[in-house]
Amino acid sequence: MPEPTEAAAQRVAVEERLFSLVLALLATEQGLTKAEILSTVQGYRQRYSSSGGNATLERQFERDKDDIRELGIPLETVEAPGDPGNNQLTRYRIPKGEYDLPKELTFSPAEIAMLSLAATVWRQGSLSGESRRAILKLRSLGIESDEPVIGYAPRVQIRESSFEPLRQALEHHHVVEFSYLKPGESTAKTRTVAPLALVQHHGRWHLSAHDLPVDEGRTFLLSRIVGPVKTTKRTWTPPEAGGHAERSLNALDALWESQRAIIRVQPGTDAATRLAKRASAVDDGTLELHYTDLDVLADELAAFGPEVLVESPQRLVDAVISRHVKTVRRHRGGTGENRG
Amino acid sequence: MANDGLHARDKLAFLLALVPYLMDHGHVTVVDAARHFGVDEEQIRESVRLIAVSGVPGETSSYQHEDLFDIDWDSFEENDEIVITHLVAIDDSPRFSAREAAALIAGLQYLSSLPEQADRDVLGSLMSKLARGSTGRPSEVAVGSSSVDTALAQIRDSVAAGHRIEFDYLNSRGESEKRTVDPLRIQSLDQDWYLRGWDHSRQAVRTFRLDRMSTLTTTDEPISRHAAEVPMSESLFESSETDLEVVVELPDDAIAMIADYLTTDAPVRGRNGRSRVTLHVAHDHGLKRLIAGLSGVVTVISPDTAKTRVADWAQAALDRYAERTDR
Repeated sequence: MPEPTEAAAQRVAVEERLFSLVLALLATEQGLTKAEILSTVQGYRQRYSSSGGNATLERQFERDKDDIRELGIPLETVEAPGDPGNNQLTRYRIPKGEYDLPKELTFSPAEIAMLSLAATVWRQGSLSGESRRAILKLRSLGIESDEPVIGYAPRVQIRESSFEPLRQALEHHHVVEFSYLKPGESTAKTRTVAPLALVQHHGRWHLSAHDLPVDEGRTFLLSRIVGPVKTTKRTWTPPEAGGHAERSLNALDALWESQRAIIRVQPGTDAATRLAKRASAVDDGTLELHYTDLDVLADELAAFGPEVLVESPQRLVDAVISRHVKTVRRHRGGTGENRG
Repeated sequence: MANDGLHARDKLAFLLALVPYLMDHGHVTVVDAARHFGVDEEQIRESVRLIAVSGVPGETSSYQHEDLFDIDWDSFEENDEIVITHLVAIDDSPRFSAREAAALIAGLQYLSSLPEQADRDVLGSLMSKLARGSTGRPSEVAVGSSSVDTALAQIRDSVAAGHRIEFDYLNSRGESEKRTVDPLRIQSLDQDWYLRGWDHSRQAVRTFRLDRMSTLTTTDEPISRHAAEVPMSESLFESSETDLEVVVELPDDAIAMIADYLTTDAPVRGRNGRSRVTLHVAHDHGLKRLIAGLSGVVTVISPDTAKTRVADWAQAALDRYAERTDR
C-alpha cells in the first residue's frame, strides 16, 4: 500500500471524487459505512490512513454529502438498527428508485422548448443556476427541442439582497431575523419569523411567513427589509400541507381586488397613457386603480408629478402630498436636510 | 474553495446527465453531443475520459476492470465518436432537486401571461410533471400572474410574421410621435414589457415601453432589418454619450433600486450607511420621474439644474392639490 501523499490526493479531481461517491452509493443495497467509503472510494482512499487520524477526510466527506444533496440526489442515512446514534455504524446509500427520474415522465419537443424559455427568465442568483441544471437533466433524456421560442427575452429580476438568504432559510426550515421598516415609521423593528413562501405579486417580491412572537401569519415586502437577514440556528417544522405560495398569492389578489383608488390624470400625458392601461374603470380623465399596498402605489403615483391628482382614498392623497413635500424640501436650496 | 465546490458540483451534474444520454444513443459523435448540451466539444471529451475510468470499488474494493465504465476507445480516439460498452450503477436521468423544479415552475408561471399560453391546462400539466420528477416537494417560490398589455399579442404576431408596425409613442417628455418600427424582440422586466426594434426615423435600434404605445397598426411591409444583423445588447437601457451624469445620495441598501441607471463608477460610501453614486439618465425629464418616485430615499446632489427640475416637478404637483383645495 503506497503512503498517502498530497501528490496522490492532487491527482483525483473533486468532480471525480464526487462522481465516484455517487456511483458507489448507488451500487450498494445495504449502504456503506463511513470507514468503508473513506477507505475504498476513489478520491478518499488515496488519502485514507488505516491507522486513524482521518479527521480532515471525514470533514471532506461531510461537505461532499452536502454538495451531492444540493443537486437533489437522495443520499440516505441509515442508522444501525441495534445501535442508533453510533455514527461509526451509520450507513449511507442512494436508493436507485428515488434517484431515477420516473420512467413514465416524458416531455414533448414543444414542452422542452417552453421549459428552456422558462429557464431564461432567471438571469442571476441561485434560481438561474438551478434552472440551468434542471435543463441539463432534461437534455439528458435526449429529446430534441422544438425550435426555440424566438422573439422573446422574458426576465424576472431579484433586486433584493434578502432574497437568497430567505430562500435558503425557507429550504432548510430555519427561523430568520431581519429589520423591517414600515412606511411612516422612523425606525426599523426586528422581526423573527419562520419563512413559508416567497412570491412575486404585481412585480414585487413578498415573503409570507409565520411571525413567531405574535404567533400569526404575516406578509412582508422584501424591499422594506433593511440590512442583512440573520439566519438563526433555530429550525421549525413546516405544516404538513404545502401550497403556501399559492395561498399567499390568492390572499394578495384578494387584497388587490378589494382596494381601489380614484385618480385624475391630465390628458395626453405619460400618466394618462400608462395608467389607463391598468385601470379597472376609465371615465373622462378619471381612473380607478386597484392596489395591494398604499405606499407602493403612492411612490408610483408620485413619480408622475403633476400629471396625477389623487381623489381618494384620503390616506393616499396624504401619502402622495407628503412625498412631494419631501422631494421639494430635499432639492430646493443649497443644503439637503440629511446634512443636519 | 467555495467556488471550487460549486464548480465541481456543476461538473458532477453534467457527468450524471451525460451518462444516460450516451447510453440511450448507443453511438454518438462528440460534435452532436456538444450541440445537444450546448457545451464545447472539449468539455464532452474531458467528461467521457473521466467517465471511462470511473466506477465502483466492487467486491474486491479495488476498482477492477469489470467495476468500471468502458467505452470503445478506438472509435473515440480515431473518429471522435462515443460508444459506451460497459455501464456501472447508473442508467437513468437523475430527478430534479426540489429547488430546480421550483425554479422552472416559477419561470413557467411568469410565462403563463404570454399570449401563446392561452391554454393553461398544458402549462399546468407541465408543472405537475416537474413536481413529480422532483426529489422533494418543489420549494414555495411562485410568481403571480398579471395581465399583460393587449398590444403584446399583436406585436408578437408581427415579430413572427416579420411585418413592420406603426404606433403613436409618447416619449417621457410627454411628446407624442408616430413611429415606424421593424419589431425584433419582445423583452420584459418583471411587470414591464418592452419592444426592441429598428426605428426607421431614427435609423437605430430603440426600446419602447408597450404601455406607452397607442393606435398600434401592423402594416403589410416586410421588415428591412432583421434581429441577426442588428446588434442588440442584453441590457434594455443602453447609455449614450448624450446622457446626463447625475450624482445622487442614498442609503447603501437602496442602491439595488436604481441599478439600471448606475454607471460603472463604484459608489462612494459615506458615513451613516449612505452612499453617493453617479447615474446615467437620458434626460432630466426622466430623472425627475425617477427621483419623485423614490421620495425620501434618493436625493440629487448635482448638478443644480437637475435638482431644480426635480423640485419643480414635485412643486407643480403640490400646486395642483392647492388649486383643488382653493376651488
